[in-house]
Amino acid sequence: MIQVNVSKQLHGVNGEFQLDVSLEIAQGEFIALFGSSGVGKTTLLRCLAGLEQAEQGNIVVNGEVWLDSDARINLPPQQRHTGYMFQDYALFPNMTVRGNLEFALRKGADKKRVNELLELMDIGALQHRKPDTLSGGQKQRVALARALASEPSLLLLDEPFSALDAEIRARLHDEVLRLQRHFSITTILVSHDVSEVCKLANRVMVMEAGRIVQQGNPIDVFSAGQTSGKFRFTGEILAIEPMDIMFSLTVLVGNQIVRVVTMPDEAARLRLGERVMLVSKAFNPMVLKLGG
Amino acid sequence: MNRLKGQIVAIDHSSHMSLVDVAVGGDIFTATLLETPESADYLRVGSSVTLLFKETEVSLAKSLSGLISLRNRIAVAIRSIERGDILSAVELDYRGNTLKSVITTRAVERLQLTAGDQVEALIKANEIALMAGHHDH
Repeated sequence: MIQVNVSKQLHGVNGEFQLDVSLEIAQGEFIALFGSSGVGKTTLLRCLAGLEQAEQGNIVVNGEVWLDSDARINLPPQQRHTGYMFQDYALFPNMTVRGNLEFALRKGADKKRVNELLELMDIGALQHRKPDTLSGGQKQRVALARALASEPSLLLLDEPFSALDAEIRARLHDEVLRLQRHFSITTILVSHDVSEVCKLANRVMVMEAGRIVQQGNPIDVFSAGQTSGKFRFTGEILAIEPMDIMFSLTVLVGNQIVRVVTMPDEAARLRLGERVMLVSKAFNPMVLKLGG
Repeated sequence: MNRLKGQIVAIDHSSHMSLVDVAVGGDIFTATLLETPESADYLRVGSSVTLLFKETEVSLAKSLSGLISLRNRIAVAIRSIERGDILSAVELDYRGNTLKSVITTRAVERLQLTAGDQVEALIKANEIALMAGHHDH
């Protein structure tokens, strides 16, 4: 069980605001912090990791006090043993893959854990390579293995997949889920990607201006107040073209391009590059089995 | 998208599906949903909802007689017709609301539809979606 209660003054692009968050996370939960840039998601992660200090509050992880501002307790990052994974990998460039993992081990830890992680992440073949010889997806696998090397009680993922293309991102999602379950490690993911949150997290907390304004099961949170059509995808408009008396919209959904037909007045309200939700009643889609 | 504002007047449901009756003006529309009052808070008798249905799901009929399984039949007047090569958009007046039907130009010709005609608009219950509250866009 992780109990967090922190507040801190933040300087956003639209002026000062207060990060003010209380949350309780059960062992093994996968939480997503969702919200636009600059609402305090990363600051909250950094406060948990000990990379930034909350002005007021307390953090208790499985009974161990990491922060208690009244009692002047504030464990340094290396004593908190969080696994932290960033968007920009942050691997040590002068060390090999194996070196990066070994460096992250706890003092006196068995080096067998490195072998286990190399094997689990399927990066054994890369172990003697330096980070700058790896692809983005490979670097991020190494970064994930390194984040887990210290046997963290808390895994913090700060938009680690946003720079990767859709296919590699999807593969890494599967890896993260598999490892998260394998080690049953409590995880907090910062993301502003609805599909990523729905796929990975069992609870989402929506943040606005330093506060958690909504939380719950991702599907419930994201579908609240929407239409009763059960079939919906978000996508980006790639083309808007007249077609007889109607308009054809070309929409990128995930990595698939689909065309939908719409009326001229609706097409007139849409712009290229805009994100839209495609909704259909659950009755409409015909289902064709693939293969076999 | 066609939109009509209404009020839920009855809900018939099984464990996973509901048949929802919505009063719009003096007519009752019926929508089949894969939601139930347990799964969706807005499914309550008396709730304000917006009916949504696509123009291409609205059929038109002239002097229709006999029995038909379709539940949603409303009397409308044709305001205008925009003819395309394959499809035509028929603008309809329904109790002061604007609805549109997109049918084939061939059908417009076969039914000899013209502005001012009194016709019936037909919408299948499972083509109608409901949105909680009243929305114009």
